[in-house]
Amino acid sequence: MTDAVASAPGADTRKSARFLYVSAVVFLCAWVLVPIYFLLINTLSSPETVTSFPKPFLPEFDMGSLTFFAGFAGILTALKNSVVVAGMTMVMSIVIGAPAGYALSRFEFRGKGLFRLLILLTRAFPLPLLALPLAVLFIRTGLDDTAFGLAIVHTTLAIPFAVLITFSLFSGIPIELEEAAWTLGCTRLTAFTKVVLPLILPGIAASAIFAFVISWNEVFAAAVLTIENRTLTAFLLQNLDTSPLHLKFAGGFILVVPALIFIFAVRKYLFAMWGIANR
Amino acid sequence: MTLFSKIAGVASGVALSCTAMAAQADVLFWSTQAKPVEESQAMREQVLAGAGQGVDYQPNDAGPWLTRLNAELQSGSGTIGVLGGLHGDFAAMSPDDLVDLSDLGVSSASETFNTLAMLGTDKMLYIPWMQASYIMAANKEALPYLPEGADIDALTYDQLIEWAANVHEATGEPKFGFPAGPKGLKHRFFQGYLYPSYTNGVVRTFASDDAVVAWEKFRELWEHTNPASTNFSFMQEQLLSGDAWIVFDHTSRLAQAFNDRPDDFVAFPAPAGPAGRGFMPVLAGVAIPRTAPDMEAAKALVKYMLAPETQIATLRATNFFPVVDVALPDDLPPSVQAAGAAVAKMSASPDANPGLLPAGLGDKGGEFNRVFVDAFERIVLARQDIRAVLDDEKGKLAAIMEETGAPCWAPDAPSEGACPVE
Repeated sequence: MTDAVASAPGADTRKSARFLYVSAVVFLCAWVLVPIYFLLINTLSSPETVTSFPKPFLPEFDMGSLTFFAGFAGILTALKNSVVVAGMTMVMSIVIGAPAGYALSRFEFRGKGLFRLLILLTRAFPLPLLALPLAVLFIRTGLDDTAFGLAIVHTTLAIPFAVLITFSLFSGIPIELEEAAWTLGCTRLTAFTKVVLPLILPGIAASAIFAFVISWNEVFAAAVLTIENRTLTAFLLQNLDTSPLHLKFAGGFILVVPALIFIFAVRKYLFAMWGIANR
Repeated sequence: MTLFSKIAGVASGVALSCTAMAAQADVLFWSTQAKPVEESQAMREQVLAGAGQGVDYQPNDAGPWLTRLNAELQSGSGTIGVLGGLHGDFAAMSPDDLVDLSDLGVSSASETFNTLAMLGTDKMLYIPWMQASYIMAANKEALPYLPEGADIDALTYDQLIEWAANVHEATGEPKFGFPAGPKGLKHRFFQGYLYPSYTNGVVRTFASDDAVVAWEKFRELWEHTNPASTNFSFMQEQLLSGDAWIVFDHTSRLAQAFNDRPDDFVAFPAPAGPAGRGFMPVLAGVAIPRTAPDMEAAKALVKYMLAPETQIATLRATNFFPVVDVALPDDLPPSVQAAGAAVAKMSASPDANPGLLPAGLGDKGGEFNRVFVDAFERIVLARQDIRAVLDDEKGKLAAIMEETGAPCWAPDAPSEGACPVE
């Protein structure tokens, strides 16, 4: 009797908690998916449907807008450049950022606090301000209009994220694990590669995604520093804001899809970080 | 240090030879115009394909356009061959950075445009390239609500307000549309249309009693304006979606509506006020920066852009009209026919009061526009007292005019020295 009385409100609480949980999940999914879904529908609609209201919920598979971009001169080269620059940015920001994060978490050195603050300062200056002197410097040194030159700029933008993310990851891994590895015959390096690295791989993937997205979305530097080797964003985004609505949707779709594909490709590592790997 | 400078030297050497090779292949046409993807595609395929040399047409936002150009000018080594931009883009540059094009043998048919292109010097620093204007357009569903006795080709501001009010009353929604969005060209409406129509001036009469009347009228019109107008920048979108039935905008920002549904919309001249029917041209030009890698090829391209056939192809591609004397063919797109007729009626109307683009402001053009946008936001959106706002903004305007020393332009009466704000 007392059991029944006690369990009834408990079940109720569990039920409403579960309801709250499910509706939060549904809401968050809708938050992300509904805009992308509408982007898809409008991309696959004829210009008349795009400007009409209410919007249909099923795409009508009108390929007009996408065909236009398929015939748009230079779009494939621009896509390739974007991938190359974003790839280089990803690698460079991890290669430079992860050691900095490791040092911040494992070693004590003078000026550590200042260093952590300074690393954020690279984001304190707006690019339109830096672009002119950068472009002059790049033209003089020959880095102008190269994927590598642009990747350096994007790496600078991505490094603060890489450093701070990896710093917190390394701090989350007990030094005892490394010490245990040292006692079992590992050097500092092999302990790192065999013990620490597998543990922080998901975090590396997360900061890689950050770097990729930062590079993918950056317009101003890309528009000023490249001419022949334009990235997709610099090539399309500036022109889209003044384009007709149906081409805006199609262009937006083209800009979003490669980034989505990339994030799907690395999601395995990302989920591992949250402890739901291999499920 | 020496190693670094050696590497830098080698790298820049390689880069220089690369750019030199690229320049031989293609002339880089660096433009702020024909930016929408369809227009840039048409520029590449229909206009520049016949140039007789490879042209790389790259349209940009004004920010990257100017930054890249300045970087090339500062470093003294360029990849840009030909610049395309609005009068205001060139006016903001230093005249020394543009090549003198006086001896090229091409110019516009309008002496006014040719004088503007000298940017206050005695040399042609850019060549007028194409022109446009601002007009009104309406959904045909709005026509039955025209006030009695009103001629759509000779409207006054009072009739326009009455018309918008009739539509508002009949549909229950405010259906006038005004490009007051972040990328909208609202300042041009005040500088080239409202002020000239009411005060017969822009700068001299900025805070006159007539200007107060003009703003009062605009407030009345705003009562019947779709409040979402502060998000509208390209009125063709709202015409097509039906959010606005009567609109004002740049001809090329209305083009899509006429091309998509030519039978549903009409284009007509801007309204007239007590001081006439004020209107203003838009002028784009082509220029060559002093750092152009291949001067001969760049000059050949500028000449090509002014050829009659190119001008017609450009009209089809961009909805900007020719600046040279040329007979227009009959098979032009609906948007061009509609806009062309409206502009022609506007210039030929007996009460026409044509204005000019702001000139002599140099890089202060943006601040000049800001004064008008601020006045709009304070008077119309924040509903502050008109007299107080104008007296306040007047000081800023006077400071800009004195600093730049810009003389008055039409319809303001000519001045000696800087145009005074009276």
